[in-house]
Parts: sequence; structure tokens; C-alpha cells
Amino acid sequence: MARTLPPLLFLVSLALVTSLEPWFQSWQGNRAQSADLLAVLLGDARRAFANHFFIKADAYFHSGYYPSIFDNRTAFQTPHMAADADAKEDKNSGDEDDFLGPPRDWIDAFGRRFKPATHTHLDAGGAHTHAHGDGRPHTHGPAPKEIELGGSADVREILPWLRASAALDPQKVETYTTTAYWLRQRMGKVAEAEAFLRDGLRANPDSHEILFELGRIADEHRKDPARARNLWELALAKWQKFELPKTEPDTFSLLQIASHLALLAERESRWDECLHYLGLWKAASPKPAEIEKRITEVHAKRAAASQVKPQTPNPKP
Amino acid sequence: MSEVIQVEELVVTYRDPETRAVRTAVDRLTLAVQAGEVFGFLGPNGAGKTSTMNVLLGFTPAQGGAARIFGVDVREPIARQRIGYLPELTYYYKFLTAEELLRAYGRIFGLGDAEIRARTAELLALVELESARHRLIRTYSKGMQQRLGLAQALLNQPDLLILDEPTSGLDPLGRMKVREIILRQRAAGKTVFFSSHELGEVESVCDRVAILHQGKLRALGTVAEVSQGDAGRLEQAFLRIIGWENPAVAAAK
Amino acid sequence: MTAALAIAQLVLLELLRRKDVYVLFFLTGLITLVAGAANIFEDARVVRYVKEICLTLIWISGFVLAVTTAARQLPAERESRTLFTLLAKPVSRWQFLAGKFLGCWLACGVALLFFYAFFGFVAASRERDVDLAGWFQAASLQWFMLAVPIALALAGSLVWAAASSNATLTLVGCFGIWLLGRHLHKVALGLPEPAGTLLTLLYFALPHLELFDVRDLIVHRWPPVPWLVWLGALLYAAAYTGLILNLAWLLFRRRALN
Repeated sequence: MARTLPPLLFLVSLALVTSLEPWFQSWQGNRAQSADLLAVLLGDARRAFANHFFIKADAYFHSGYYPSIFDNRTAFQTPHMAADADAKEDKNSGDEDDFLGPPRDWIDAFGRRFKPATHTHLDAGGAHTHAHGDGRPHTHGPAPKEIELGGSADVREILPWLRASAALDPQKVETYTTTAYWLRQRMGKVAEAEAFLRDGLRANPDSHEILFELGRIADEHRKDPARARNLWELALAKWQKFELPKTEPDTFSLLQIASHLALLAERESRWDECLHYLGLWKAASPKPAEIEKRITEVHAKRAAASQVKPQTPNPKP
Repeated sequence: MSEVIQVEELVVTYRDPETRAVRTAVDRLTLAVQAGEVFGFLGPNGAGKTSTMNVLLGFTPAQGGAARIFGVDVREPIARQRIGYLPELTYYYKFLTAEELLRAYGRIFGLGDAEIRARTAELLALVELESARHRLIRTYSKGMQQRLGLAQALLNQPDLLILDEPTSGLDPLGRMKVREIILRQRAAGKTVFFSSHELGEVESVCDRVAILHQGKLRALGTVAEVSQGDAGRLEQAFLRIIGWENPAVAAAK
Repeated sequence: MTAALAIAQLVLLELLRRKDVYVLFFLTGLITLVAGAANIFEDARVVRYVKEICLTLIWISGFVLAVTTAARQLPAERESRTLFTLLAKPVSRWQFLAGKFLGCWLACGVALLFFYAFFGFVAASRERDVDLAGWFQAASLQWFMLAVPIALALAGSLVWAAASSNATLTLVGCFGIWLLGRHLHKVALGLPEPAGTLLTLLYFALPHLELFDVRDLIVHRWPPVPWLVWLGALLYAAAYTGLILNLAWLLFRRRALN
């Protein structure tokens, strides 16, 4: 019996392995979703970390004066750095200067002396524009000159956290769009912004937000309106394919895409196209009356243009 | 002659960790040690010797009675200013050198730097640790640690030396060294109070002895007085006092 | 006092001859330098995240060093029986405790000097500017704050026999206070009774270690805390430390040592 037991056990093991393996594979499919080290190490927690780092970047945007999860966050629902970058729709309300409320006790009052106590944005000078309790903001050091020039480059300090957020969750699209905005607008790093957006596009090939941002770079920095139009049209197509079927589609993005396409078409005097996009813009806008005025203006411009030149049919979208 | 150690009706109790019952370790002990004498504190294991020493050194509070050293209540730290103590198990800070250890202890005694240096050199020579003075104690052998223990016990030129089983684990050379130190202390008019199981050593150096058994003082006097009824043999006297009976004799009865 | 200082010196020597502080310093330095070497969109002037990582590591290292050093003092002395040789000298229990506390606290102070010197070097090399007042305040506030966990760990070693349990509990407690202390009252106000009252009592009883955390001010170049407020914080730490040490002494003074 002792001699036959090991081979018997081996045969039983082999039988179990060969019968269970196909079942195991079909249970979860191919479980190796990613070879990324962070994904393997952290699993789904990486998304939580990514979100934490995204918020951290906004905290840096405010030079540390930022609500915790226990404070009143109604004025910070949309990170200000993302809202200022038009990367997310601004849904903030309430007083952003006083999310803490009045001190609840002497410890709270005393403790506030050891933390940042003024609402500032890094692109406007950050801590350099603090107030010394007299309520009058003032600046220190080299910041005033940068502020004079229309924006402090200190906003670079949010970049490491945005980079970490993107590394941890490549599917978090607003990380790419927010970062790209600050890179190109305030730091003059257009190439870096474009490269980062392309990284984001590789991870999110159907992202209309990233395509839209790439279009902005093409239009505003590369001065290549044809490329910008292509990118925005692709963004619009992606939006219509992936957002439209949703119960609550992202109308903010549609507004951005349509408005830029409309303005580009207007610049290039492609009136029919412009009117089409203005229609989309009006549908998404919270102020349709304003857009209706623009439509009327474009109609007038088209009419004026057709009187000057012989009519040639504009290509319809 | 003045009394260096005074113990009056000392009571020490402790709670048995298993049964939680209160046990008496020392039961109304009264004794006195005179200045300049070598006093042996004897008893079998569990007799109460260590408990008494712990009270004298301030490690344990007494539940009754009083104990004084040089007239000062043992609960006062100043009572230990003029004593030197050598524990049974000699472990010292392994991260220090012998020199650093003696310097630290010297500072605790309030000695000046010059005096500490002089005493350190003298004592390390006495205990033959000069060559190892800059080595970390963690590299010392057991014998070296015990010799270091002697050095630290003598650092403040104590008027009272308290030794807990000073020759335990020592080779004959080490035991001889300890004996020499005890006799030198007596010759200098100092007092030595020590516990030991080595009755031969006790006979050869002690002026007086006390024998404890089950927390009570069973005998107190010179070696000759205590062993008078046993043909001058202290070991015989000891066994009689603690009530040990030869099995052969007991069987014959 | 001489006895207490002599004991403090022993603790200081022990810390310098153990590996703990060097390991912590090495790890802090390594992680900071690796973080600082990251390419952030080809911009070498990004500095605040490096400062924050370094300061956070210094805070964690400070806690770990303070608590582990203090937590092992009494158990190690008892196990190695050096406690008896020491207390057989003219040293009162209070002097022993005070000496241990001073030694641990001074050791942490020396360690923090090196940590903050490294931080200053890293910050100055990237910012091309120094904030001496801010850094001094940060270092001194953290040093005084550490007196509280040291006192807690020393008191804890009289309650818990195992140094590891004591260190773990003290560290968990300290980290909890550091991270959540300032929010407890807010949370308490939203809880039903009696939980709300209990949490409020806890909030007022706890030493608020988070008060001493001025990392945000240093990282984001806010002006330093007013000096009177800084002094108030130091006195707050000293008061709590004194209270805890007194409690420890009350526990220790009549304790049988064997």
C-alpha cells in the first residue's frame, strides 16, 4: 500500500488539475488584465489612489488650503484646477473662502493658526497673495512680476500629483485634459501637453475629451485649423457614439466641442457648417437665447457674404 | 559601634501569580549590621534573602516594619549614596564600554570628572580589565562582566558593600579575588553584607551570620556561636536550623 | 538632576549605536531623492511634492523613532537586569523616568537636526531660497510634539509588559490623533448621544499632535506661525508631557521591580 500510494496520489492530482483548469479559466476569463506593476500591486485600490492624487493636485492648486472629507465641500465638488481648465463642468456652489465655518472650540481656533487659512489659486500667486490677518492680500518675493504677466508658473507644482494620478488610473480622462491645459496655457509646454494627451488617447481611444483637447492644441498653438477641425469632428463622432445613448449624456463636453467647431467654421466662413454646429451648441447650452443671437448673426453674415460673391454651395457636414 | 543596616519587624509579602494568594516572603525580620563587619546572610532558596535585599536596595516596598541604611530610610535614594551593589547576575549595557559605564555610574554618584578618571583607572587595574576598557561590553565573557560588576560596585568607595551571591559561577581564581576584596574592605573599616550559598566562603570571611528560613530569622551570631552545637561545622548547623533531616537518620528513627 | 542627565546620556549613546536611526534616515533620503529624480514634464523647478514627501517621511520617522526608543527602555532594562544595578545607585524613580524621557527626547532632537538639515539641503537646492524661520518652527514644533508620544510610550511600558504591544498601541494612537484629531469634534456634533458626548470628551482630553504639523505652511511657502502662537504650542506640548510623566511616575514609584 505504501508503495502504490504516491503514484496513486500523483494520478489523482493530475486528474484534478486537468479537469479543474478549463473550468477555472472559464470562470474569470483571462484574469491577467494588465501587465502593469501598479495594477498588479494595488488592484482596484489604484483608482482610489488615483482619485486621491487628483484631489491632492487641487489641494496644491490652493497651496494647501483645502477641505477635508469632514468639511463643507460644496464649493469644491469640481476641483478648481479642472474647472478653470474647462476640463470638467463647474458644479461648485457656496463659499469657497470659508469651508471650515467658524471655529467650534479653542483647539479648533488655535489649530487654524498652523494651517493655510486663505483661499488662493497657484496661477494667481498662491501663498504669496496671503493676508496677514488684516484682510488685505499682498505678495512677497518674485511672485508679483509673474502675476503682473498674467499667471504664476507656480502652477507647475500640481503636475507631479496629476502625473501620479494618470499613472495609477490611465482611464481617468480628466487627469489628461487638466494637465494638458496647465502645461500649455501657463507653462508654455505645448509639446509635453500634446505628448501627454496622446498617452491618454492610447489608454482611452474613444475619449472625446482628449480628442477635443488635442484639437485645441492644434488650433491655438499649432495654428493648424484643418487638423483641429478633424480632431473636433472625431471628438463629436465619439461623443455621439458613446455619450448620446446614455441616460445623462455629458452635455458640457458637447457644448465645448460644438462651440469650438462653430467658431472655427465661422472663422473660415463655412456658414452652413457653422449653423449646424451652432444648433448643437444651442441644444447643449444653459443659455440658448445667447446662442440664438449668434445664429441670427451668422445668418446675416452668410447673407452678406453671398451678396458679395457668387453662391457656391458650402459642404454640408 | 554604629549600626549600618537596621531592619525592624520587616514584612514583605507578594501575590502568587498562579493562585493569587498572598504569600509572606519575609516575616517580621529584625537584625542589625554593625559598621566594619562582614555579615553573611544565609538561607535556602526561597528563604527571603533576596526579598530582604530588594527592600534594602529600594527595589521592593515593604508591607510592614522598617529598614534603614546609615540611619536613612531605604526608600530615600540618598540611602544608596554610600553603598556599592553587586547583583548575582551581572549584566551591563552592552552598547557601552567598561570605561563609559563607570563614567556614567560615577556621574550618578556625583563624582567629578577627574575623580571618575582616577577611580576608573584604579578599578579596571584591580579587576584586570585595563586591556578591554575600550571594548564594548557585548564582547565580554561572563567572567569579565563579573569583574566589571565588582569594579562598578567599588566605584564610589562605598562604606557598605552589598553582594548578592558574589562567587556564584566563578572559578577558584575569581572566588579568591572576591575574597580578597571583601577582606580589604573590612581592613579599611568598611562593612560588607552578602548572601551566599558557599558556606565555606562564609566561614572564612564572615564576622557574623544570619540564617533565614521560610521568611523568619532562625539564627543570628558569629559563625562559632551559630555552629556551637554542631562541632563548629557551619554546614551542619545550617541544615539543622532549616530543619533538614538526613533520610537515613529519619528512617532509623 | 545629575543622575537624570547621566541616564539621558546613556539613552543618547544607545540610540547612536543602534541602527534604527540610520536606517530611517537612509530610507527617508533614498525615497526623497528617488522622488526628486522623477521627470515631471521636463521641469526641474517642481519642488513642493519633494518637500512634502520628505517632510512626511520625517514625521513618520520621528514617530517611529520616538515611540520605539521610549517603549523599549524599561522592558530592556528589566530583561537585562541593568535596571537593578542602576536603581541601586542614589537614583530616585522620578530621576530614572526623567532621565529616560530626556534621553529619548534629546535623541529625537539630534535625529531631527539631521533630518531637517537634509530637508533644507533638498529644498534649497531646488528652490534656490531658504525659509529658515519656517524650517526652524517646523523642526522645533515637531521636536516638542514628540515629547508627548515619548511620555506616552514610557507610561505605556509600565502598563503593558511587552514592548512591541506598547509600541504598536502608542504608534496607532499617535497616528490616529495626527490624522483625525482635528476632526473629532466635528464628527461628534453629528453623532447621537451618548456617542457624541463621549467623542467630545475624548476630543478635549487628547493631546492634539496635529497642531504641530506645519508641513502645509512649509511646503507652500506660507509665512511662519506668529511666534507667540509657536510658543503657546510648545507650552501645550510641555504641559501634556508633564502630565503624562507625572502619571507614569505615580505608576512607577511604588512598583515592585522584580
